[in-house]
Formats: sequence, structure tokens, C-alpha cells
Amino acid sequence: MRRTRVAAVLVALLSAVLVLTACQGGAKGGDHTLSFIPGTKGEPFYISMQCGAQAKAAELGYTLDPQPPDKFDPSLQTPIVSAVTAAKPGAILIAPTSPVAMGAPLKEAKRAGIPIVEVDTALKDRSVAVSSVSSDNPKGGGLGADALAKLVGEKGPVLIIDTTAGTSTTNARARGFAEQLKKYPEMKNLGTQYNENEASKAATIVTATLAAHPDLAGIFATNLSSTEGAATGLRNAGKTGQVKLIGFDASPKQVADMKAGAIQALIAQDPAAIGASGVQQAVNALQGKPVERTLLPDMVTITADDQATLAKYAYKTKC
Amino acid sequence: MVAKLSKITTVWIALVLVLLCVVFSVINPAAFPTAFNLKTLLVEAAVLLVLSVGMTFVIITAGIDLSVGSVLLFASMCSALAMNSMAGGDSTAAGADVAFVGLLVALVAGAAWGVLNGLLITVAKVPPLIVTLGSFGAALGAAQLAGDGTDVDTVPEGMREWLGFGNTLGIPNMVLVALIVTLLGGWLLTTTRFGRYTFAIGSNPEAARRVGISVTRHLIMVYTLVGLLAGLAGYMSLAQFGATTLSGHTTDNLNAIAGVVLGGTSLFGGVGSIAGTVIGVFIPAVLTRGFIITGVQAYWQPIAVGLVLVAAVWFDQSRRRARNNR
Repeated sequence: MRRTRVAAVLVALLSAVLVLTACQGGAKGGDHTLSFIPGTKGEPFYISMQCGAQAKAAELGYTLDPQPPDKFDPSLQTPIVSAVTAAKPGAILIAPTSPVAMGAPLKEAKRAGIPIVEVDTALKDRSVAVSSVSSDNPKGGGLGADALAKLVGEKGPVLIIDTTAGTSTTNARARGFAEQLKKYPEMKNLGTQYNENEASKAATIVTATLAAHPDLAGIFATNLSSTEGAATGLRNAGKTGQVKLIGFDASPKQVADMKAGAIQALIAQDPAAIGASGVQQAVNALQGKPVERTLLPDMVTITADDQATLAKYAYKTKC
Repeated sequence: MVAKLSKITTVWIALVLVLLCVVFSVINPAAFPTAFNLKTLLVEAAVLLVLSVGMTFVIITAGIDLSVGSVLLFASMCSALAMNSMAGGDSTAAGADVAFVGLLVALVAGAAWGVLNGLLITVAKVPPLIVTLGSFGAALGAAQLAGDGTDVDTVPEGMREWLGFGNTLGIPNMVLVALIVTLLGGWLLTTTRFGRYTFAIGSNPEAARRVGISVTRHLIMVYTLVGLLAGLAGYMSLAQFGATTLSGHTTDNLNAIAGVVLGGTSLFGGVGSIAGTVIGVFIPAVLTRGFIITGVQAYWQPIAVGLVLVAAVWFDQSRRRARNNR
């Protein structure tokens, strides 16, 4: 008897939680709604992108419906895409979390007649989206190589820390960096290591590399977790500032670390511009206007003493 | 008998660890056997070691805790938020008082999840695998909710300076904390009634109950202990990285379990030791570093780590079987 009562209370509680979360997460439909599915919840990069997209959508008379997955993970993003497809919005703006795995659910959305615009990342299958807006990542990696070369006097061994093998965006940055590095004959590429998005793994990579190569001149880290971890590794080794660290993106934390001297330069994207152009292309597709298949907004190199660029390109945590 | 068996296992696994160190030292004598390498190895393993000490107790009771990584994140999130609100939004310049409150908040937040896990396992009688799988997701969600999905990245610089990067008598403070936790854990497990109850419940919970051990109360205490240690680990991680690193710690649970099992603790409960866990934690850590130092290609590293883990346990199992057949 008592057990059934406990069970009843539990069931009631569970359903209350379900109802609450459902209300919070329900996808919106309608021709004037643009669903925005970033790569993950809470990253300043995607928040800045959302800010840019929201402003542009409002300007054009549309509403933006953000539906972020909890993590940068195709198994979490797929159900969101399905739910959004079922709600039938005007268009979908998405940062696919896998170039291949996200193909199937997005093809389903396309079959339902919803135009898809890729922002930041892109599918391997170019026939699914009407437009792709992303930073020119190989070029950004190249900017990183130039900035690092300048910082270390164009010589010495350098290390690349990438997130995971298979993340198209960061892999392209690493490739662009390695390619441009070849222009500096006295700089040696020690190769690319993957930190699996764990800051602690990046710290290990840095200190272990320092053990083998005490003359390490510089590190290029392709995203936030690798930069944070690399900065911690350098601090553990007592080599902060001595080994030059170049990070990608300009989140508040990275900007603060650069001001504190843990990072020497940042390659910043322009997420707000990516979001705004994504919305523009989606609206063009909806209104039957010509759509640009590929757009590549510019990136910039920021250093601590460059206040003007810093103020313009630092990412936001809220709009 | 049981104690003897686990001691023998520890010796063999320790030999594997020594062998690995020797091999890497021979391949790269200038880089591997150095004070720098040892120091950074110890500092970087400290957080996982603290988690694994708690995990050892849970696994000896024949339980499991999949939630440690998420509880770690939840505790560091609560701690960072508390410190920031005490310091008016940005605790970077805050003093030791704020950092101390942060520590207490981290410990309480971690222990609270532990109590919840323990109650669900013992009172609601849901299997530990399911309960802690549930709190693995829920604690991460709660951390994201509390931080509004964003990493908190303002942490008292004094705390980072002292705990994260400071030394006492030449030993990094991160390592000292992990060492104290390990010694206390070993003492608790081998010399106290708490430890004997832990083994007894893992061997046979029904027998433990019949001799008058309050199994429910003891299991809640064990899960509270692992939660408390996850809270401490969260605070240590905060001091190291200066941010809550919400995207990480997804495989901490598996890494801790792997370390504990490598160290000879039985997943079926009743057998295990803290010394074994220490060795078990360092085998993957040494492998990861060694492969980077000796220049093994990045894609080969996870394959090689996996192979060595399975081989080490297989080796250990076949030795045990040979011994039991004699």
C-alpha cells in the first residue's frame, strides 16, 4: 500500500518534470519562424551568433527560435532536428555537429520542404543545404601560423592541439595552420594531437611535449578547451609567455587570459556576421530571391594591445 | 585470504607500471625519466586519483558510480557561482575567505548528490548503475542550468596560485591534496570499522545484515563519500583550469572505474585496495604521456592505451586463475 503511494508520487513528479521541460523546449512552427540549432548550448561563440541572427531576423520581420543541444554531439542534435522538422518552421539554421551523421535527419527536413542554411559547420553532402555560411577556417589557421611566426621570430618547433579527428571546422584550422607553416623553413611542425575536448588532456599534451622538446617555441590550439588546457599546461611547466600560445575564438575567458598574458594572440571569427548572413540567406530562400551557396565572412588576428579590434570581435555571453 | 589475493594482484599490476616506465625511459632517456615529467604527471593525475579513491569504496560494495564526472562539474559550478556572488560578480581578486567558502560549497554540493544517489539505491532499491546513470545526466543538466549553459571562468586568482600551481616543500599542492586523500582513504578502508563494513557488504550484503550491520546506512555513507570526493575534485579542477570546463569530464567515470579495476578491485565487490587504485590510475596516465613523448602518432594512442588496459587485466586474471587452480 505504502509502496504504491510512493510510486504514485514519483510518477506525478516525473510527469511534472516532463511537462515543464516540454514547455521549455517545444519547437515553434510557422512560415515566419526560423529555427536556429547551434552546435551546443551556452558557448559564447554560438550566443554571439544567435545575437546577430536574432537582430537580423527581427529586422526582416521574422522570429528566431533557438534550439540548442546540451552538447556538441550528433546523437543529441538529431532528435532536435526531428522535432523541429515536425513543427514545420519557415527555415532551419543549423551548425551540424557531424558532417556525415547529421545528413539523414537534415535530408528528412529538406524532404518536408524546409530550406536549410548551414552556419559555422557544414555537411559533407553539399546537396542538402541551400546555403552555407562559415568562417574560412583554413585561412584562419593560416592567419594563426603567420601570427605565431611573427611572435617566435620565424623559428623553432611548434605543436598543434586539435579537438577530435572528424570535427570539420577545427580540423580545417589545423590543416590551414600546417600548410601556412611550410612557408617558414626554420619552424618545425611537431604534428597534431587531439585533446577530445577535455582541457585536462590538452594540459597533458603540452607538458608531455615539453618533456620531449624543451625548446618548444609555440602552440596553436584550435578551440576553447584546447586553449584553456594548453594555458594550464604551460603554467604547470612554468613556461607561460615563454612558449607562445595562439588560440582560436575570442570568448570572454580567452580574452581575459590574453590580457593576463597566458595567451599571446587569438584568431577571432565574426559569429554575429555569420548568424546575420545565415538569416538573410534563409529569408532569401523563403521569398524566392537568389541565394548564395557559400559565404565566407572574414576572420581577424587579435593581440592584447589591439584594443579596437578586441572590442569589436570579442564574443558575448548574452545579447 | 581475500586481503592476500588483492595484495598479490597489486604487486603484479605495479610491475606492469614499472615496466612501462622503464620502456619509455629507454626509448627517450632525455625526456621521460625527468623530474619535470614526474611532477606534471602527478599534478595532472591528481583530480582523477581523488575521484578513484571514492570509486574504490563504491566498487568494493559491489556498486558503481557513473555520476562522478557530472557531480564534479556540478560542484565546481556551485562553488564558482558562490565565490563570484560573494565577491560581487567577479571573484578574480577575492581572498582566502571567499576561496574557503567555495571549498565548503563544492564539498556540500558533491556530498548532496552522493546522499541522493545513496537514498535512491538503498531506500528506493533502484540498481546503482541506473541511479548513477540518471544522476550522470541530471547533475550535468543541473550544472548547466545553474550556469545558464555557460562556463563560469572567474575564479579567485589566489586560489589558483596556491592550490592550482603552488608548491609546499617542493611538492605541488595539487599532489599533496591527492596524497592526503589517498592516505586517508587507505586508512579508512584497511584499519577502521567503516572499511570492514565496506568489504563485508561487498562480499555478501545479506550476511552483513544478519550480523547486525546497517547496510542501508553504510551504503548511503559510501555514496556520500564518493560524492564528497567528487566535490573536492571539482574544486581542484577549478583551481587548475580557472574555469568550470562544462564540455569536459564526460569520461571521468569510465577512467576512474578503469583505474580501480586495473588496480585489482573486483567489480563484483568484496575485494580491493587503495594502493591498487593508485597504480591503476597511473597506468593510463603514464601511457598517454609516454606515447606523446615517444612520438606515437595521435590516432594510434587510444588504440594502444586500450590494448594495454585489456592486456594488463587479462594478464592479472590468468595469473589469478593459475593460482586458484593450484
